Amino acid sequence: MNTLARKKHDRAAVRRAADIGKRVEYVSFALAGETYAVPIARIAEILKPLPITPVPRAPRVIIGVMTVRGRLVTVIDLRRRLRLPEAPVDHRTRILITDAGDERIGLLVDEVQHVHRLAESEIEPRDVLGGDPEPYLAGIGRPEGAVLTLLDLRPILEQ
Amino acid sequence: MPEGSGGGRGDASVDKAREDFLSEAQELVDGLSRDLLLLDQQARGGAGDPELVNDVFRAIHTLKGLAGLFGAVRMAAVSHELEELLDDLRLGRVELTVKVVDTLFAGVELYGLLLLSEKGQAPEPARAVEEFMAALATLTHRGSEGGEGPLPQYEIDSSILGVLTEYEEHRLRTNMKAGVSLFRIQVRLALTTIDTVLDDIKAAAKPHGEIITYLPSGTGADAEHIDLEILMASHSRLDVLQGVFRALDVTVEPVKRRASGEPAAIPAEPSPAPDADETGATPWPPEVSTPPEEALGPARSTGLTQPPVAEAPAPVAAPEARAALGAPNREQDVSLRSVSQTVRVDIRKLDNLMNVVGELAMVRASLGRMTERVRAEPQLRAWGSELHRLQRAFERHLTQMQNGILEVRMVPLGQVFEKLARVVRQISRENDKEVNLVITGAETEIDKLIVEELSDPLMHMIRNAIDHGVESREERILVGKPSAGTVALNAFQKGNHVLIEVEDDGRGMRPDLLIETAIRRGLLKRGETEELSTREIYNLVFLPGFTTKESASNLSGRGVGMDVVKTNIGKLGGVVDITSAVGIGTKITVTLPITLAIISVLGVEVEGRSFAVPLASVEEAITLDERLVRNFDGREALTQRGATLPICRLARLFGLEPLPVPEGQPQKPVKPCVVIASVGSRRLGFVVDRLVGQQDVVIKALGKSLKSVRGFAGATELGDQRVGLVIDVAALIDEVMSTEKERLGVAEGGLAR
Repeated sequence: MNTLARKKHDRAAVRRAADIGKRVEYVSFALAGETYAVPIARIAEILKPLPITPVPRAPRVIIGVMTVRGRLVTVIDLRRRLRLPEAPVDHRTRILITDAGDERIGLLVDEVQHVHRLAESEIEPRDVLGGDPEPYLAGIGRPEGAVLTLLDLRPILEQ
Repeated sequence: MPEGSGGGRGDASVDKAREDFLSEAQELVDGLSRDLLLLDQQARGGAGDPELVNDVFRAIHTLKGLAGLFGAVRMAAVSHELEELLDDLRLGRVELTVKVVDTLFAGVELYGLLLLSEKGQAPEPARAVEEFMAALATLTHRGSEGGEGPLPQYEIDSSILGVLTEYEEHRLRTNMKAGVSLFRIQVRLALTTIDTVLDDIKAAAKPHGEIITYLPSGTGADAEHIDLEILMASHSRLDVLQGVFRALDVTVEPVKRRASGEPAAIPAEPSPAPDADETGATPWPPEVSTPPEEALGPARSTGLTQPPVAEAPAPVAAPEARAALGAPNREQDVSLRSVSQTVRVDIRKLDNLMNVVGELAMVRASLGRMTERVRAEPQLRAWGSELHRLQRAFERHLTQMQNGILEVRMVPLGQVFEKLARVVRQISRENDKEVNLVITGAETEIDKLIVEELSDPLMHMIRNAIDHGVESREERILVGKPSAGTVALNAFQKGNHVLIEVEDDGRGMRPDLLIETAIRRGLLKRGETEELSTREIYNLVFLPGFTTKESASNLSGRGVGMDVVKTNIGKLGGVVDITSAVGIGTKITVTLPITLAIISVLGVEVEGRSFAVPLASVEEAITLDERLVRNFDGREALTQRGATLPICRLARLFGLEPLPVPEGQPQKPVKPCVVIASVGSRRLGFVVDRLVGQQDVVIKALGKSLKSVRGFAGATELGDQRVGLVIDVAALIDEVMSTEKERLGVAEGGLAR
């Protein structure tokens, strides 16, 4: 790397560093071939699937309950919740654990991918697709080389 | 009191502080209620214990301080007015009448409402506050300053008289009116031990009279010591008192009476009643040059909204010392420090601990298996027995820990009973009935969560007992009963259950009238009445729609009937039963599990899924013989000991499909069983594939998103990381039976029209 190139690189790094304060970390995951992301601050942990006990008569989006370190977790199939076609659990399936008030909720996803640090400028508002977007749609994230459907967890958990 | 310093919501520490405020306020209000009940008794007896009045005053004062600190404006205002009333009471300006006590009780009720609204669970009771304030206004400051005439014929140094607070002066007068002698106790206290020694003195003095005031005498004290002069009113003789205080190294001397003829002799001419003297400005004490009361007197008798008059700025030599001695000084007794020795713990934290214990129990099980394996190895025998020993110790301590946590969750039922005592008082007065509440077993302990849920159901039962059970005074006298009715509230433990009985000695329930009412309300057909057992007849009152608003008084008829009582008790895993005898009374018995945290369950399997049935509602389990199942109009039933037992196949009820059996594994044989469960008088048999066995489990509530799912009381870990659902027997029986009732209801309706 020549001197000029290094200087340029450093300046870019300084700019990125200055930007960090305004960036929000998102964790991205796959669902039916699309990539979604939620703010990582909302996710308490990411687990491999544990035995889940189905609850008879429960709403269809609820797969069942499991315990994680003594706490009961209600597991939601995010595919069903977003009205996507269903798929069997495989070795890449993960459960994202989050809190909804007093309740601990697990979100079943196909695969966890990356952590993206999105600047405000990299997020398009939720109405970019026009029309009347689903309440859980928070916007479109456009980090370098990816397109993320950003989800708002609250409407997802409230149903 | 800094106003509004509790701003900035959303901050976790502020939320926490607010929570603490709410629970501390609640505690104070509960304590207030207790004190008032005592005071109520005393008021009927004629005189209130000044200490008790003081306690109430202090509680309200603290509440006021708390409310101010947390910006609870209405509560602060109410407290302020109540404080005025209490101040008048303790200074003898207002007499302790039943009406006053009633108002105080109303204040407690109002605090309840205000706290609810602070918690955001109710709207602000603006109207109730207004009404209450109006009611208070009729009580306080009715008269002008009570000119109590010149004090004492005693030789008390003017320096002492001058610094007595208004309250102390009032107590002094009261004692002298009662002809009690005064003594001066002088003591030198080391500053390091002052608290304990003073407590000793108080304790020693208590049986002999009342300490009016403690004053630092200010003479001869060095840096480490303080000289105190204690003014005590006592009916005991000097030598007795000297004996009492001998061990405490104090000198006791009588305060001499003045020769007669000097200032007015009070016993000969009792001081006028508080509101008799209109001028109210008799200066006192005449000799003292700075009578602060005089200046404050007129101000005090003006409007209600006046802030409380600050204590006379008495010329005390050492104000700090005075405050430290705990003299009743208003400015200093505002303490936000909790007085009790207890720690308030969020019950969720205990649940978390219980979860950890559950995890440890699983560790213990694995450890046990490991130990057995080690012990089976001949060359590891020494290690094996060591491990075994450790494991045993672990197990023992784990059990202790589990019991310890359970114990912490337990609270005495007395907490609810005290609230109920207030209700009884209120209802009996509104109904113009005389009712004595007799409580036994208030010390019986039960899970905190159960206690919280119990007060409403019990309150409704008691209302019913007084409204419908206890007869009017005249009626009672006519049948030769004592004019005052009795409602007994008994609690006791029986095995793993706590029984609570609400028993009245009223007119009892007449089966024929119950049947009449049930028929009138369309809950029963005329033809059906023959088969009913007495117990079933009494249980009619638990049917929804049996109690109606129109028939109930304004108190019992808050739209809640006995059916709700039964449902709520059922939610706690409890059962309600009624027995009654005409003319003798009615007894309602509530049977509750001691704790909600750990329950014994019967593990069962249905289509490869694990479920748990609370053992408390299991009567027995029998093998299912399909040949004996009878089908009545689409409903299956067995004949068991000559009676029909409806059965319900859990697989069908829950719509469970058989699980695919993994390749190469032998299918477990199915041994269908019927688990016979009962709630109250209703029985139902659940058909399951297999019984797994009995175990004690920690039950966890299902999350909010599963609230709408009926039939499960919670979930629990069944070893091997699998979660089993705990069946809500009451809900399922209700479901299975009520669909039946609904069918009947439709048929009946069709016939009637």
